[in-house]
Amino acid sequence: MNKLLFSLLILLLIAGCTERINVNLDNSYIRLVVDGGITNDSMLQSVSISKTASYFYNQPPPMVSHAIVTLSDGSFLDTLVEELPANPGIYTLPKKFRGVIGKTYGLDIKLPEVIGNAAEYSSICKIMKVARLDSIQAEFNPDMGKNGHWLIKIYAQEPGDEMNFYLLRYYRNGVLMSDSIQKWSTSDDKFFNGSYIKGLTAFRINNGNPWETLHPGDTLLVQMSGITKEYYDFIQEVQQAGYQIPFFSGPPANVEGNISNGGVGFFTAYSNSFAKLVIPTK
Amino acid sequence: MKFFYYCCFLLLPLMSPGAYALPDNVKKHTISGKVTDKTDGESLVGATVFVREMKTGTTTDQYGRFSLTLPEGIYNIVFSFIGYTSSPLEITLNKDISLKMELATEQKELQEVVVRSDRNDQNVVKPQMSVFKMDIHTIQKIPALMGEVDVIKAIQLLPGVQSVSEGSSGYSVRGGAPDQNLILLDEATVYNASHLMGFFSVFNNDAVKDVKLYKGDIPANYGGRLASVLDVRMDEGNSKGYEVNGGIGIISSRITIEGPIKKEKCSFIVSGRRTYADLFLPLSSNKALQNNRLYFYDLNAKINYEINDNNTIFLSGYFGRDVFSNQFAKMSWGNGTGTFRWNHVFSKKLFFNLTSVYSDYRYLLGTPDGTSNSFQWNANLKDFGIKGDFSWYINPKNTLRFGGAVTYHMINPGTATGTGSETVFSSIQVPKNYSIESGLYASNEQKIGSHLVATYGVRLSLFQSIGPGTVYHYTPNHVVIDSAVYKTGIIYNTYGGIEPRLGLLYDFNGKSSVKASYARTYQYLQLAQNSSAGTPLDIWFPASPNIKPQIGDQVALGYFRNFRHNTIETSVEVYYKWMQNVIDFKNFAQLLLVDTLEGQVRTGRGYSYGIEFLVRLNEKIVSGWVSYTYSRSFRNIPEIQANPYPAPYDKPNNISVVLNFQVAKRWSISANWVYATGAPVTFPTGRATVAGKVIPIYSERNAYRYQDYHRLDLAVTFSSKEKPKRKFSWDLNFSVYNAYNRHNTWSINFVQDNVDPNVTYAEKIYLFGIIPSVTFNFHFKHE
Repeated sequence: MNKLLFSLLILLLIAGCTERINVNLDNSYIRLVVDGGITNDSMLQSVSISKTASYFYNQPPPMVSHAIVTLSDGSFLDTLVEELPANPGIYTLPKKFRGVIGKTYGLDIKLPEVIGNAAEYSSICKIMKVARLDSIQAEFNPDMGKNGHWLIKIYAQEPGDEMNFYLLRYYRNGVLMSDSIQKWSTSDDKFFNGSYIKGLTAFRINNGNPWETLHPGDTLLVQMSGITKEYYDFIQEVQQAGYQIPFFSGPPANVEGNISNGGVGFFTAYSNSFAKLVIPTK
Repeated sequence: MKFFYYCCFLLLPLMSPGAYALPDNVKKHTISGKVTDKTDGESLVGATVFVREMKTGTTTDQYGRFSLTLPEGIYNIVFSFIGYTSSPLEITLNKDISLKMELATEQKELQEVVVRSDRNDQNVVKPQMSVFKMDIHTIQKIPALMGEVDVIKAIQLLPGVQSVSEGSSGYSVRGGAPDQNLILLDEATVYNASHLMGFFSVFNNDAVKDVKLYKGDIPANYGGRLASVLDVRMDEGNSKGYEVNGGIGIISSRITIEGPIKKEKCSFIVSGRRTYADLFLPLSSNKALQNNRLYFYDLNAKINYEINDNNTIFLSGYFGRDVFSNQFAKMSWGNGTGTFRWNHVFSKKLFFNLTSVYSDYRYLLGTPDGTSNSFQWNANLKDFGIKGDFSWYINPKNTLRFGGAVTYHMINPGTATGTGSETVFSSIQVPKNYSIESGLYASNEQKIGSHLVATYGVRLSLFQSIGPGTVYHYTPNHVVIDSAVYKTGIIYNTYGGIEPRLGLLYDFNGKSSVKASYARTYQYLQLAQNSSAGTPLDIWFPASPNIKPQIGDQVALGYFRNFRHNTIETSVEVYYKWMQNVIDFKNFAQLLLVDTLEGQVRTGRGYSYGIEFLVRLNEKIVSGWVSYTYSRSFRNIPEIQANPYPAPYDKPNNISVVLNFQVAKRWSISANWVYATGAPVTFPTGRATVAGKVIPIYSERNAYRYQDYHRLDLAVTFSSKEKPKRKFSWDLNFSVYNAYNRHNTWSINFVQDNVDPNVTYAEKIYLFGIIPSVTFNFHFKHE
């Protein structure tokens, strides 16, 4: 909802002019960065571990290898394995694993050397339940913008028992189109807690962008995930980070994750629900 | 009740006979009256009434009235006002006299016949400091963005005042936040003074008479804000003849009609303006643009009625709206204010004003109906207030001002509702809140000996939250524990404050003076906004059980000296300011449509200091001012950052040059140049990559600065020939904003490259390059 407000405000902006500039920046100390998590299905079972770099580093993030990474749910479950030399810094669960809704999982990282101010980091996250996606619809609105927009709408019964937070991503013909955090959609249930979500617009796709628009015959898959409030806030903060619009951006601040000892990033755990649609011929 | 005692206590010393400085055996009489403009009958505010024999005098109040008590005798009294011909008058004072003095505007053709030594030395001899008054003619000469001359943009050129961001109507006074400025239009509070996202202010020049900015030393009759008071007065209308004034600019036009309803007794003024950039949109070939709306309009109206010598009433109102809509969104916002005022003269020495005000600020934001995401968000803020002010010219040595005010505030932070049948949204109502703010004050201006004037007073303020209301209780970590709901009419929270106001003036024989002041102020209402430029989506929130009132203390010391028959005024002022309970917000605060806003507020202390140098010119050929300010402003809010950090308005070095040259009878050239140290900003000092996005790791709050800001604006005005009895006159104004096309930083974004996501770069946004414009103004007069 608030995201919607902000996108409306952006439309109001009198377009300013931009130019690239050089800025001299200092370097702060190196911190550990954790990114990844687990789900209640086989969608995600890995974390990546890297280090921060100077702001204009302009290379892939320096990965951290040879860490001991373990998953627990109060008691030890498994060790995540790094596949070397193919994927340094990516640690994956070796066996098929399914998280359980309502359970809290812990991630423990032991580093071969101190990074930041610690050699051991940990994090916990609970798997929240998700509203079951009934169906989705793709609607073409020719009046929006120059070439029209596709609106992807979702239909689901909101459980309504507590404050729920949702993450939405979509796939076109099996390819994840919401391929960076910037393209993810999120929603809380403030406006429809406990009621039937009847066609909330989750994505708006510009038909003028050939790399993302839809065509008859395309298979569209929407993934809806039930996430924790902390992860919801984290996504929102990451999406805002770096951009300053003086009309409504607050002062820039570090994104808050859930990694101990001043680590950056998030270890997440969530449940998924899917709905599929083949775009009909007109 | 307590307040009453305080007031009695304050008045006591004045009641005792000892307070009268003149010996009792000399007979005294009072001269009182009004000073007005000869051509249109409007009262002159701050005109000087000088008694040559006594080398003393007074100035007229906001309504052009004065009162002087003198021993019996024959006096030469000189009435004068900037831009008007001084007028001497010999009076034989053997009884109380009431008179009306009309001053004529100085004609450019006339030779200097004026006795210069008697005029406008107020800068030196008035006990008020840290104040800047401008009449509308001064403001109209300043080159402006798109030719739209603007009161607030003029204010931002004064020493000690900073614009919060390029083009914005928000301003910071002596390191204070923009919401710490009280903006009054005919005594009614204007909560949001911006049009078009702040590029223009709500004040229409043609309807404004003068503006006064108090940067410190705030008089006891004002309260409720920490940093400053901007007092804008609307024109009263010509009571002698009809006038039509108007202007046609590139983005807006305006028209003002004024005249007598009953000659010399009752006058009216109606003024309107509208921008019309959007009227050309239907001509656009872009289909999507054709249905866009983007405009604002304003209406000002005032009726002034002088019932008799002792009673004058006026009724004034303002209404303005901004409207924006396109296919995705619609938005509108605006202010409405109304003022009814009764000036009553109880006796030659006791003047009274009764004012009742109404103010309303509202906005809506929404989407067009008929889609699943259709919704509309409404919010508004309403004030009803009543105020009584007395001025009692007790004797030549003492002038006592006292009175009180009560204001009822109603704030609706937001009602968001799904609209249309297809919407998926239900509705949300953020709890409304209600409060009563009251104040009682008394302040005496006392002349002690022939060199010293002391102003001492106190304001007692009271703020009460009344039901219905919901108060959330928080843990020290700002987590909601539970809430309390209060029924209608119940006063569930009360704050009060004692606000001393002191001023001292030592006058070195009328040529130079030293002034010192101390003022304490309380602020009970603040703006929930943590952005630097501000949007129309203002949410004001009051002091409450969770939010303590903000308290400000300011001390200032100044040296004032005039040269060349008071045509050059100079001053140096230093100030130091402490603030308690100042507001900031937690990182990534979510301020819109939340009922637990207070849980996101972080409070602490603030302090600022500075030195301001000002040279103000009032020569025939050259007028304007040059100022240099060095100032710092910090916030110390431990929950934001352990150590103090620069406030967003901390721009240490600041220069303003605002000059107008009357190069020939029909030609005038204006220029202003502003320079300010770049605003403080937080920059990344590292980066992490999460889910494909590079996120910045930031420095300490405001550890870096933008590039320095500077800009030159120019204007040339060509006027029609001045002929006596001519009914129609005009002028043509060409102006250039940002004449040397400097790309001043509005913001800097850190962007991840689209092609290579490993690459990040800094990108500057600037709003304005060089902007030329032309405005045609006309003036029609019928006697």
